[in-house]
Amino acid sequence: MKKLGYITMLSLFTFLGACSDNSENSSSDGNGDSNTNSGNEDATVNEENEGEETVVGGESAEVELSFWLFGATGYPELAKEYMEENPEISITFQEIEMEDHHNNLFTALSAGSGAPDMAAVEVSEMGRYQDAQDRFHNLYDLGAKEIKGDYLEWVWEIGENVDGDFLFGIPTDIGPTVMFYRSDVFEEAGLPSEPEDVEALIQTWDDFEEAAATILEETGVPMVDNPELMFNALRDQQPQQYFDENDELIIESTSDTKESFMKNADFIEKGYVGSMELWSPEWGAGMAEGNYATLLAPAWMQGQIKDNAPDATEWRIATLPEGAGNWGGSWITIPAESEHAEEAYDFLTWLLSPEGQLKAFENMGLFPSAPEVYEMEEFVNYTDDYFGGQHTAEIFAEAALQVEHVYKGEHYPAVNQEIQDGLYNVQEGVDKEEEWADILERVDQRISR
Amino acid sequence: MSLELEKSVPQTPKKRTFSQKKKNIVSGYLFISPFYLLFLIFGLFPIGFSFYLAFFSWNGLGAMDFVGLNNFVIIFNDPLFWKSVYNTIVIGVMGTAPQLIVGILLAFALNSVLIKSKSLFRVAIFLPYVTSIVAVAIVFSVLFSNQEFGLVNSILSIFGIEPITWTRSEWGTKVAISAMVFWRWLGYNTIIYLAGMQAIPNDLYEASKIDGATLRQQIWHITIPLLKPFILFTVFTSTIGALQLFAEPHIFQGRGGRPEGITVVVYLYREAFDSNFFGTASATAIALFFLIIIISALNMYFTNRLGNSSKVGSK
Repeated sequence: MKKLGYITMLSLFTFLGACSDNSENSSSDGNGDSNTNSGNEDATVNEENEGEETVVGGESAEVELSFWLFGATGYPELAKEYMEENPEISITFQEIEMEDHHNNLFTALSAGSGAPDMAAVEVSEMGRYQDAQDRFHNLYDLGAKEIKGDYLEWVWEIGENVDGDFLFGIPTDIGPTVMFYRSDVFEEAGLPSEPEDVEALIQTWDDFEEAAATILEETGVPMVDNPELMFNALRDQQPQQYFDENDELIIESTSDTKESFMKNADFIEKGYVGSMELWSPEWGAGMAEGNYATLLAPAWMQGQIKDNAPDATEWRIATLPEGAGNWGGSWITIPAESEHAEEAYDFLTWLLSPEGQLKAFENMGLFPSAPEVYEMEEFVNYTDDYFGGQHTAEIFAEAALQVEHVYKGEHYPAVNQEIQDGLYNVQEGVDKEEEWADILERVDQRISR
Repeated sequence: MSLELEKSVPQTPKKRTFSQKKKNIVSGYLFISPFYLLFLIFGLFPIGFSFYLAFFSWNGLGAMDFVGLNNFVIIFNDPLFWKSVYNTIVIGVMGTAPQLIVGILLAFALNSVLIKSKSLFRVAIFLPYVTSIVAVAIVFSVLFSNQEFGLVNSILSIFGIEPITWTRSEWGTKVAISAMVFWRWLGYNTIIYLAGMQAIPNDLYEASKIDGATLRQQIWHITIPLLKPFILFTVFTSTIGALQLFAEPHIFQGRGGRPEGITVVVYLYREAFDSNFFGTASATAIALFFLIIIISALNMYFTNRLGNSSKVGSK
């Protein structure tokens, strides 16, 4: 009986834990954009709202599809257009919080029953499924080769297996990283503050360091909020990260990750890196008050900035020095259990086509993974008054075109976490060389089992 | 058991040989069967499967490979596992021992005739128990903020103490997590003690007063010995609760935890849901199962003796 209590407690705790991550991570889902203004009223199609489920399509539909999603995508709204031309299809959307969504999907796939016809998988979760090709339809068998050219190459490759002959999913949105900065802090430090001038000033990490030194000296404000975003920016520019394509750990044998770590640790020791942890209240407050000069973050972070600092007028956007990275975005997969793979595939190619992505961008701010959209008039002309009328979409697009594909591997998140923890330890005063050795040991302990 | 009985039900009208007594037995089992069926599916099967899984290497999707005792070898050789055991025990002691002592004193105060508007205080003390653990952990992580302007750090600075990095320092983390546990469970234990105290006849206190007993002597020689079953119960449940501590450190230190505050269940969770090593996670669950048995047994033994010795002392 005690064991029963233990199991119930554990499941309860797990459940509660999942809830908690809701509040912590809801913004990291890559779709956490603030443009949530799409209406839900529609008289022409039959729509039932049962909590998180939305049914789009007529009752007479012959094929009923299910689609699991997370975050605010606005896809059900878009799907109504599809139903007008395809009345034989109806789709039940289940939209829940990101962590729960992935847990449900993993459990359903692991159990081999209960998975939907279509399911979104976030970029950080993709690695988990690399070994599980048997749980998905190979979208190449459904004709995905034809649409490959519509998408950014590096985004497409994340949805493929290592050999490139199996396609797990079609890309939705992405999160190319840029440098958000506070123009007032730059001004106060006597630096140029207009986006073009800032980009001209900070072209390399050495320039970045110089600016950081000036800002710290003149204003006392750290250049970045915390080691996490700083490290992401440095890491994402490396040609290799933690694992090679055979899933061998390479952080010891190659110097790329160590270089990023050491540079970051150096910045920490010099005081350029703040200690406002990601998603913490002080981190959010820092956005409103300008407690750090830059935020090296993906495009969807603009939603966070607008939420945390609704009245700030000082935030501007510039490109990152030496190239961009990516954080976030999803791929829509068709689990092998689905008996309507072709219908699902047809819908997806419509939904995620460049035209569909433009609509998702306009409705919910999902940043497109199809470069064709970047040329479209509505996209190019997009300006954002919050960022002083900058052509924000264009800047993100420029970043998106710079990203290179890097193989990540199943245990990428674990390794990443140990390194981030290590950087915080450096911030607490631990010697960086010692910490690096310690990280190698911890990583080895954690993944070799 | 119940399944077989259900099958035998259709036979009853044909044979009509069941006596009333047998019918009662059958319907009795039928009435309790929902619990056992649910327990079988959601309780017994997962327990059995987790024991089974502990001997396999499995990532949740791929094939399961039998690895014998290797999962146990791995976790017992992982310094972080032992660190998590150490943390669990330290936080358990720091969070529950003061709680039980303060709980008895509070219950004693609530039970005494001196306090007015008792029900208000009872509700006020019990209220933290009703709050969600997640909410508690989030509020406490704001109180125990690492920044110098966090509430606890501001208060400490009045006494000239440097700001403490609560989420990343060895003792800061443990103090913060223990404080959460203390705050949330104090009311629960107090109410149980209060119920126990109300069962103690007032004559005993009156008699002891006539004999000239002080308040301390009353608590030590009357209240505590007579509360023994209640103390046993709270010690027992608190011990198990403390060993299963999860939500507080998980939220306070963020996903995956850090060595300063990782508890056995956080370690287990990290193995299973962050790293996809379901085998080692199950092995951890089993290790925790035995740890709980051992520590609960020790606790029962010592708590029992505590009650006895004080009784002996009173003679």
